[in-house]
Amino acid sequence: MKLSFFPAAVRPAAVALAGLALATTCLAQTVKLGMVNSLTGPHSTFDLPASEGVLMAVDEINKRGGITVKGKKHTFSVVSEDAQSKPDFAVSGAQLLLRDDDIKIVYGIMTSGPGMAAATVFGKNDVMYVGAFTLMDTILGKPGAEKMFRTLNNDATVAKSFVPASVKEMGLKKVGIMLPNEDVSRSIVAIYKPILEANGVQVPMVEYFQPDTSDFAPVLRKFQNQGLDGMLTGTNDAMVEAILRQATELGNLPKKFMYRGGSGAPALKYAKQIEGFTWQILTRDLDNASDPKVKGWMDRYKAFTKKDISPNTYWALAYYDTVFMMAKAMEEVGSTTDTKALTAKIKEMKYDGVRTMRFDKDGRALSDIDIGMLKDGKVTSVRASAL
Amino acid sequence: MDLIQTLLDGLMVGGLYATVAIGVTLVFGIMGILNFAHGQMVMLGAYTAFFVVSAGLGFWPALVIGMVAMGALGLLLERLVFRHTLTDHMTGLTASLGVIMVIENLAAAAFTPDPRNFEPPLPGSFQIAGLTLSSQRMLVLALVILLVVGCYLFLQKTRIGKAVRAMGQNRTGAALVGIQINQVTAVVFVLGSAMAGAAGVLYGSLFAITPYMAAAPLMKGFILTVLGGLGSVPGAVLAGFLLGLAESLGSRYLSASFRDGYGFILLIIALLYFPRGLFGQSAKVRV
Repeated sequence: MKLSFFPAAVRPAAVALAGLALATTCLAQTVKLGMVNSLTGPHSTFDLPASEGVLMAVDEINKRGGITVKGKKHTFSVVSEDAQSKPDFAVSGAQLLLRDDDIKIVYGIMTSGPGMAAATVFGKNDVMYVGAFTLMDTILGKPGAEKMFRTLNNDATVAKSFVPASVKEMGLKKVGIMLPNEDVSRSIVAIYKPILEANGVQVPMVEYFQPDTSDFAPVLRKFQNQGLDGMLTGTNDAMVEAILRQATELGNLPKKFMYRGGSGAPALKYAKQIEGFTWQILTRDLDNASDPKVKGWMDRYKAFTKKDISPNTYWALAYYDTVFMMAKAMEEVGSTTDTKALTAKIKEMKYDGVRTMRFDKDGRALSDIDIGMLKDGKVTSVRASAL
Repeated sequence: MDLIQTLLDGLMVGGLYATVAIGVTLVFGIMGILNFAHGQMVMLGAYTAFFVVSAGLGFWPALVIGMVAMGALGLLLERLVFRHTLTDHMTGLTASLGVIMVIENLAAAAFTPDPRNFEPPLPGSFQIAGLTLSSQRMLVLALVILLVVGCYLFLQKTRIGKAVRAMGQNRTGAALVGIQINQVTAVVFVLGSAMAGAAGVLYGSLFAITPYMAAAPLMKGFILTVLGGLGSVPGAVLAGFLLGLAESLGSRYLSASFRDGYGFILLIIALLYFPRGLFGQSAKVRV
């Protein structure tokens, strides 16, 4: 006699229920990470590669079999929301993620407008948030931001490695500073001038110009015949290219430039007319990679995304290693949900990934950066430690 | 030496402003509308030069093509839009604002907002009498003087130039003595737009080209139109050079952070002493 607990009519429902129970058991082994990024709109230039960094790290961890927490295997899944490069969409994206009780950790956003809006939501909801936008630096260490991390070095940290490396490589002795008249320029001068002086460089001139200037001749003439051998300038590629172009046209101006910015593009056209140009690669140099870790990562990135390396790919490294740090912290803490313990663990951890990363007590990154250099017509980069 | 170099810088930039202002003041003098879309001709002229130079044809063909192309676009706009707004200045003004949005957004979509520039024909600098001068800037200065003088002579010496001036003084009177109003209006648009195209090509040989680059030269073109005296070509030219000098001297010897402010100070002072502009005449519009 065949025994059955279920009448034939309800048997399919029972099977479905059993399947659901099994699926629920499986889901319990999955750690859900939230991700909010500007996947569309003008900020997607930064955020799209940044999101790929998170997805790539998750994929690699999962393919290795996930992480082991208290003897149990866990894999990761990512729930992603599009901030559309707008603060209001960043807020609604953050709120959608918070509706899911399983999401305790969120990654994303490279730009300050949407970034601050989302961070405010996460701060009020006790979520562990890993971002990269500049203004995040102003909230770290303050109430509500105890579980927040900024994955890119701030200006003060970058300057500590960028200035000595630039001074050494270009042999700078006397430098003028020329920047747009903006708040950020004042803070750049406050940070860079003392560090330049501490490295034996005189800084006799600081000039600010109208931010939408196209004709730099009058302000550049102030730097002529001053015995300067270098200039520190910024703050975006278009502006710096215009400055370089006009400096080479006018003559009698320094031919070595430190760029407080993240690209060598402004100088490439003028490689023969200038003697040196340094810039800040806030993660790793993907254009002139010699480090096997970086080369390997680039190959994996291309395979994972089916895309070539572009000038913005290096933003993917803003988050990539931090996902591995989180995974390691979970294994060491023995929890995937205790965000307080995970925060403390990450702040005491040094992680040697594609980047070498550490965070200070407030969650500010103290990572190595690469410094791009154009010298004698050749583009190279050097590794500069901030640890 | 430094002062002379700065003065030459100022004259060069002022010449560019004057080249833009001529078109603005001509259209205003003839049609009585402030054509805000004029700045877009500067931008499109610069892009034309960028593409022509990038195609390997060089700077001089780029200058000619830029002027011809913008002249043709000016004619097209006159035929399609502004001819129909001749009797309603407010509609003309509003239409020109609409044209700005269309051209600017089309340019942004087609060319992307990334800044472009092209190789100038005379890169680098040269020394003369102890001065270090930018070769391209001196070339631009020479070319704007040539353009401004050529435009002035055209208006003063040619039959059509005289017709333009007559229309500027009294359109009804000009029509009564047999001047073809429609033809002269078209000539004004072509001439003004070609000058803007030339300014764009010269601008692009020195500065970055973007879809949004038109705002500054246009704003300055309007300052100069008022400063020079509404509708006065010599006034606009003189005002252009004065504005360039004020900006360069102010930025060099005072503060570069206040660059655009010097022009407005000049405008306010000039209007206090010359309420109708430098070359403005009592209640009359001159061309």
